Amino acid sequence: MLKKRLIFTLLYKNGSFLLSRNFRLQKVGNIQWLFKNYHFETISDAIDELIVLNLDDDENKIPEFLQILEEIVGHCMIPVAAGGQIRNMQTASALLAHGADKLVVNTACFEQPEFIRELVSCYGSQCIVASIDWTYQDHPQVFSHSATQEQGLLNDHLQHLAKLEVGEIYLNAIHRDGTGQGYDFDVLHTIPENWKIPIIFAGGAGHSSHLSQALENPLIDAAATANLFNFVGKGLGNARNELLRSGAPLAKFNN
Amino acid sequence: MIITLIDYGMGNHLSVRNALKRLGYDSSVSQDPAVIKSSDLIILPGVGSFRRAMENLNRLGLSEVIRLAATENGTPTLGICLGMQLLGSESTEDGVCEGLRLIENKITKLDGSSDIRIPHVGFNNVYWETNNDLTVDINQNSDFYFTHSYAMKDDDKTADYIYCDYGMPFVAGFRKENVFGVQFHPEKSQKNGLKLLKNFLEIKRA
Repeated sequence: MLKKRLIFTLLYKNGSFLLSRNFRLQKVGNIQWLFKNYHFETISDAIDELIVLNLDDDENKIPEFLQILEEIVGHCMIPVAAGGQIRNMQTASALLAHGADKLVVNTACFEQPEFIRELVSCYGSQCIVASIDWTYQDHPQVFSHSATQEQGLLNDHLQHLAKLEVGEIYLNAIHRDGTGQGYDFDVLHTIPENWKIPIIFAGGAGHSSHLSQALENPLIDAAATANLFNFVGKGLGNARNELLRSGAPLAKFNN
Repeated sequence: MIITLIDYGMGNHLSVRNALKRLGYDSSVSQDPAVIKSSDLIILPGVGSFRRAMENLNRLGLSEVIRLAATENGTPTLGICLGMQLLGSESTEDGVCEGLRLIENKITKLDGSSDIRIPHVGFNNVYWETNNDLTVDINQNSDFYFTHSYAMKDDDKTADYIYCDYGMPFVAGFRKENVFGVQFHPEKSQKNGLKLLKNFLEIKRA
């Protein structure tokens, strides 16, 4: 049986890893902090995948992010998806060459659909994760450019992404982002019938019960958290063991 | 021991090399036929489209080099993910495209007619009927990390297989003499993945 996944998302900008709350960013520490003080390797032993996002829109900072990515990849043996500022094949191939297994795209899905098609045709659907930032107006609406520009209905955007043949959807609730209040499950009513693309659920996890609620839901394939402090130290490992004990369909790494 | 990862512009070499390093082995990345011919072990990684990968291998003259190394030299050769599919006879991805034919197995799209999602992404358990060199010290039904939309069939009945079920049973791994393949990513599969890579590294040249 295919297992569900626990995913950790690292946000990076300007030399620092960040906490995000409703998309307001707070610096937490640099890469040395991540490995030495935060014990990142303990965390990577408890998750199925890692996502690393570059939030700096300065193109000149991409090489620095590539170095950070390579260092992180060297410290964990799990799949790593990387993204942020992917607008051309050069950045895409550089991220893959520096150890990314998958590419996370967001704004380009609105502005450069042809580029997304090229990514899919070159690297395959399984390599392309479309990230969506959404929140409510009257209905669930999607936003681009780090949740600053409104782009229309979530339902329409999902259909658009299915046509582009992206491999996964990272569905992040702006209003729950970093709050630790739990995921917003109502949005699942927006998912089209017979939906085929795996969904990573993000925005709001603050407790292992939130993760287990998501993992129990048949429409959700993976539960993600970007909160560096809700699952600090052995927190994620303990959460994973707790989830496994309660019968959550997660992989056993020490079988 | 010379371990060479084939570089044809379509693979994540870094993660495989990191995993080998954890096991205490150095490796290099090359597209030089002389280096590949003199290697003790060959690894063919790969991410992306089958057709594009075969075009690259053919353009670089590497298809024949890999075939000769695996058949005439008997060099143990491991294909990972797309790399495993390339060892097969043909794939239906982007129209029919011929593979390296080191094993006469076809590659087709996973059957999405049931309620499964495609791509097949995440950890899934694998099983086998007969033990082989890749499965030493690994328990039946261990979880490995997959990410793919196309899968290999077990047309060649002379090989040893590892299977996985997703909509249909498919080849998760195989051994045919000195040619090996795994559809999953051992370098992304925590401890079980390291064990499997170690098993490959300890295989004796035929």
